[in-house]
Amino acid sequence: MTTKTLHRKTNRYLSGAAMPAEARQIETWLSCTEQHKSVVPETEKEKIEQEILEEVRAFTAYPLFFPKAEPWWKKFTAIF
Amino acid sequence: MSRNFTPEETLIDQLFLDDTDAFEELYHRYSYPLYAYCAGKLDSPADAKQIVRDVFIALWEKRHSLPVGFSLSLYLYKEVRKALVNCINEKLETEKDLTRIQTRIIPGFAMINLQKARQPVRKSYSEMRYLQLLAKNNQSKTPWWNQAPAGITVKDIKQVLQKAFNLL
Repeated sequence: MTTKTLHRKTNRYLSGAAMPAEARQIETWLSCTEQHKSVVPETEKEKIEQEILEEVRAFTAYPLFFPKAEPWWKKFTAIF
Repeated sequence: MSRNFTPEETLIDQLFLDDTDAFEELYHRYSYPLYAYCAGKLDSPADAKQIVRDVFIALWEKRHSLPVGFSLSLYLYKEVRKALVNCINEKLETEKDLTRIQTRIIPGFAMINLQKARQPVRKSYSEMRYLQLLAKNNQSKTPWWNQAPAGITVKDIKQVLQKAFNLL
């Protein structure tokens, strides 16, 4: 398959005008996960997770609008 | 990676109440598997990160309009699949990374590679071991209905039943 053919297929798939065989081909490709199994160290996983989370936080700004409530023991110690 | 054992339904309910901890817990449960899936499909960590980020941003934005009985995994994978096709389409449209698409993505559409997705899911090693153990235990144990109670024979049972029928 050439890039042009793939482009035509993805275009038709996204606009909902794909032939049943084309849609099935794209969906089967999406369901195929066999070739992507690799072992990644836990630290690397956490690093990636943290990087994406930081971007999500920056985009949505939820830590600013919905700050985490302080635990009771922090409030208690603040009195003293 | 999961940080606690709160059920997903509870976390989704808490998400409705703007609970950021619940959102982050859900994020930690799903983000890496989604990222690995996207990175494997696109062979581009940067695009994979962007897709996962956009999907979680959309989830946060939609938190007040999630339907009853909402399945998060179904929603996330559906969105990611859509985003994957969109990403490839955009790249082909702008003619970016054409070599990568030609060498890394297009071979995935070959019949030999697609046939793998149609094969039944292979059982994991631990599951196989558990099933073997279960089969072994079942072989060694005879079910209670096949076991003759101590001191009682089939003849005794027949006699007792005969007496009972006579009385009736």
